[in-house]
Amino acid sequence: MSNQKKRNFQIEAFKHRVVVDPKYSEKTWNILEHAIHEIYNHNASGLSFEELYRNAYNMVLHKFGDKLYSGLVTTMTAHLKEISKAIEAAQGGLFLEELNRKWNDHNKALQMIRDILMYMDRTYIPNSRKTPVHELGLNLWRDNIIHSSKIHTRLLSTLLELVHRERTGEVIDRGLMRNVIKMLMDLGSSVYQEDFEKPFLEVSAEFYKGESQKFIECCDCGDYLKKAERRLNEEIERVTHYLDAKSEAKITNVVEKEMIANHMLRLVHMENSGLVNMLLDDKYEDLGRMYNLFRRVPNGLLTIRDVMTSHLRETGKQLVTDPERLKDPVEFVQRLLDEKDKYDNIISLAFSNDKTFQNALNSSFEYFINLNPRSPEFISLFVDDKLRKGLKGVSEEDVEIILDKVMMLFRYLQEKDVFEKYYKQHLAKRLLSGKTVSDDAERSLIVKLKTECGYQFTSKLEGMFTDMKTSQDTMQGFYGCHPELADGPTLVVQVLTTGSWPTQPSITCNLPAEMSALCEKFRSYYLGTHTGRRLSWQTNMGTADIKAIFGKGQKHELNVSTYQMCVLMLFNNADRLSYKEIEQATEIPASDLKRCLQSMACVKGKNVLRKEPMSKDIGEDDAFFVNDKFTSKFYKVKIGTVVAQKESEPEKQETRQRVEEDRKPQIEAAIVRIMKSRRVLDHNNIIAEVTKQLQSRFLANPTEIKKRIESLIERDFLERDNNDRKLYRYLA
Amino acid sequence: MGIQKDIVKFNVGGRIFQTTATTLANAGRNSFFGALFDDNWDLQQQQPNNRQEFFIDRNPDCFAILLDLLRTGDLYIPSNVPERLLYKEAAFYGLIDHVRSAKWGPFDGNRLKLSKSVTGRAPGDGTAIRAGPDGGCCVAHGSMVHVFDWILEEHPPINLDYQRVNDIGWVNPENVLISACERLGRGDGGMGLFSSSTGDLRYKFNVVHDNQVKSYTAGALSFSPDYKIFASCKGRSNEYGIGVWDQVTGKQIDFFYESPGWSLGDADKLQWLNGSNCLLVATLFPRKDNCYMSLLDFREKRMVWSWSDIGAPLTVDEKRVRDAIAMEECNSVCVVNEYEDLGFIDLRISGGSVRWSSRSKLMKGKMPDEPCYPKLALHNGQLFSSMNDCISVFCGPDWVLTSRLRRSYGGSICDFSIGGDRLFALHSEENVFDIWETPPPPVI
Repeated sequence: MSNQKKRNFQIEAFKHRVVVDPKYSEKTWNILEHAIHEIYNHNASGLSFEELYRNAYNMVLHKFGDKLYSGLVTTMTAHLKEISKAIEAAQGGLFLEELNRKWNDHNKALQMIRDILMYMDRTYIPNSRKTPVHELGLNLWRDNIIHSSKIHTRLLSTLLELVHRERTGEVIDRGLMRNVIKMLMDLGSSVYQEDFEKPFLEVSAEFYKGESQKFIECCDCGDYLKKAERRLNEEIERVTHYLDAKSEAKITNVVEKEMIANHMLRLVHMENSGLVNMLLDDKYEDLGRMYNLFRRVPNGLLTIRDVMTSHLRETGKQLVTDPERLKDPVEFVQRLLDEKDKYDNIISLAFSNDKTFQNALNSSFEYFINLNPRSPEFISLFVDDKLRKGLKGVSEEDVEIILDKVMMLFRYLQEKDVFEKYYKQHLAKRLLSGKTVSDDAERSLIVKLKTECGYQFTSKLEGMFTDMKTSQDTMQGFYGCHPELADGPTLVVQVLTTGSWPTQPSITCNLPAEMSALCEKFRSYYLGTHTGRRLSWQTNMGTADIKAIFGKGQKHELNVSTYQMCVLMLFNNADRLSYKEIEQATEIPASDLKRCLQSMACVKGKNVLRKEPMSKDIGEDDAFFVNDKFTSKFYKVKIGTVVAQKESEPEKQETRQRVEEDRKPQIEAAIVRIMKSRRVLDHNNIIAEVTKQLQSRFLANPTEIKKRIESLIERDFLERDNNDRKLYRYLA
Repeated sequence: MGIQKDIVKFNVGGRIFQTTATTLANAGRNSFFGALFDDNWDLQQQQPNNRQEFFIDRNPDCFAILLDLLRTGDLYIPSNVPERLLYKEAAFYGLIDHVRSAKWGPFDGNRLKLSKSVTGRAPGDGTAIRAGPDGGCCVAHGSMVHVFDWILEEHPPINLDYQRVNDIGWVNPENVLISACERLGRGDGGMGLFSSSTGDLRYKFNVVHDNQVKSYTAGALSFSPDYKIFASCKGRSNEYGIGVWDQVTGKQIDFFYESPGWSLGDADKLQWLNGSNCLLVATLFPRKDNCYMSLLDFREKRMVWSWSDIGAPLTVDEKRVRDAIAMEECNSVCVVNEYEDLGFIDLRISGGSVRWSSRSKLMKGKMPDEPCYPKLALHNGQLFSSMNDCISVFCGPDWVLTSRLRRSYGGSICDFSIGGDRLFALHSEENVFDIWETPPPPVI
């Protein structure tokens, strides 16, 4: 059997792997571990970087990456545990400093360790999906230091305590604070947020809740806002000094909510110092502060705007309905303008020209100006006053400013056509009496009205100006044709186009003989140059300058109305005239005659006539003489007619009626225009569209629109739908 | 003459080198030299008299090459130094990125030079080749994917349950995505994410229909810059369409179902359009009898543009669209047929027609003997089109033919890809792929 023994060939398996010294990895790691110790012990100067780098490289190259990595984790963790103890041992205020110093040490050490292990970081770690060295160092620091039970809460409370001390006015070491907070941020945004930011925001909310309660009990609104603003700025400053920039929105949110949003209504309505008082006293600074603070919270500006609007409407309503104010239209409008200026200033200086506030202001004005139906008339009277005298000596720019302001009020008017009516009347008076201060100002205003309301609105007003101009030319032509008239009385005729001018009942009086002859000459001249026209005299609107010599030879030039002239001229041929005689001779309507006699006989200083009996009123049986004793300091004496500047009640009615009449065709035109394009439309929509189309001129009354529709149906412009009575059809 | 203070003396494996700290600073902080010169390590103290040499236990020949690289920015490898040794040394010093960026220049289709041809061992025809972002590539043959780094060293091959691979793509330099056929009844196949360096499967993507995980066949792939993955998918119960996954979480976030009479799940090509935030999906002849192209808006779940040759007159039968690529700057889709004619379709009008620009009259009516794989690619305003064994480069607003890349053997080019400033072309017959690079800029 022994022969049978086969020789066993033992073939050694080919060893692909070269066996390295089993202690090799151990030795190499020991060198590296020692180096890590030395680095942490600030003893790195004796280390050779090349040697350590090569050793780490060799470990990875010879597949000891695992050992190297786990060794690193163990060694670093051990060091961090020691560091943790050292930090825990730090007393009181030194705690943060110690933490910060150790953090800096760790960072430096981490950088050096990473340098040594660079090759591992680059090759072994990505392939084995491990955490890179730098990140690993941060994670270990987080887990062993920041999250260690003895440091975690102490760190948080120390940081919050420092913030609190700073809020109460103490000075803290911001640099240290910044470094420690920066450490939390370096450890990852979640560490910063969870371990600092969240509790910080909670504590801040608590702090400001208490503080705002304290402030609101003892401060007035302005002071409170000042304090809130200061706190807000402090927090923003704190963020820039030592917090993460992303915290700014969060912490300001807390302050805004606790200090403003929660007390908003109370602040706005605070007695004696709230928003209304600020508005009344023009406290731009406080208002601006309120605006800037309230802007930061939801519904903040809305609250301010609502209070401002209701206050504005209330005061505006009082302004336009106060019977005292209605006595003087100029004063009335001036007050409106002052109110507007006041709020314009507030909005531009305090509310940073916020569009929504401007809109609120406009809508408020629109609301209360139209509460008083006489607003259009008053505004026109204001313009009249300004253009008669108010603008004398005022520079062109200032005139423009005033006119622009008037236009702004005009824009608020709903009944722009009423304004137009009055404006026409007032303009006519100004033009005919030659009282207007500046033609440029007049034209400028008309241009403004034209841009605002369109050509249609001003065409008649422009027609008036054209008439004035052509009349001048006509007069030149007239005297050019009749040079022989140069010696006699001078006639100035304004030829007015019917329709462009406010219609006046044409009542003619008997002119003195020399004047009527002159007038006849003019009539034949005018009709000779313009065929197919009709002239009628409006003696009630004319004026005259007459020279008079009184008893003791005093010479005066009297500036009177045409009616007054007629009366005075009678005294050239008589010393004494009774009322009846005057009335008969002149045929002036009784009411006008009485006014004109009153102004010549009863006004002190202007009494060129004498009356018997001496009384204030003119009676049917009175007699009149030339007042020989008339004296005056001036050579030229202007004798005004006693006129009611404001409209009397019946006149007002009349104007109103004329306006209503004028509106009818406009409403009808609008209805027809709309129906022509829409063909079929229901009642409500017609009303809405008509109102919209006409609102640039006036606010159409729905019942009036309805009447107009009915009238159009009667005249076969429209018909009602047979099935749906609410529908109207256009009949072509 | 002042004494230059920053002179550094090295003894590398016995050879003395002198250079300056300034030159070495070119290596960057994240390198051996960067760390060495950091204040923490206090190099000066280790060289007390400032003339003592600093020892490094490495190969001096390679050190010389790398030092010149830091000095000039150019890489010159003498024939006596093995490339692999140099790369190894560069990895030690942390200079591997410097070597890579010096090796070839910024991509220009008209200056390309054949750098190398790599022969593989996989049987059968190639399916796809994809250039990686940092100069590597991966090649699919049948069920295997071979991964090469930029040095063109092969890493462990990848497969997904050994199922036939339909498409591959680089999610980032570390990760490759594979789409594969499903294996009936086993839940294999679908889509998987692999480590490009180790070949490990890192994640397998699921498709969920009606809250049920279903097995599926994944086809063409595309990626969007907001970290989404798109793939054409076919499930067994007519669950055809385009699946969308999140690259970060790996979860399926959307599925665009195919509507009847249209084709999405069979798509040959997906292309994400950054400008319009839409996905171009193209199913082309011969995968289907007809071509279907559509632009999907996933935000509105809507097909915002579409084109098909269904019902096109027979006379244009010879011009079947074989590949398509959207060119957002020109608002058009460029298509190619088997004669390498380029055609354009307006992206602004749905259902427009192809405007062919018949450039290659020579090929007219002469069907190639061997199967051809016309493919298109667009890079920096240059259009590339492969046909038989060459790749044509077109430039300018009218797409003028400016260059032709041809290599003598290997048969038709079945796929090519541009990325990492390189062009990779895969041949169908011999198992070989070519790497084309732009040389570094001229000296003067």
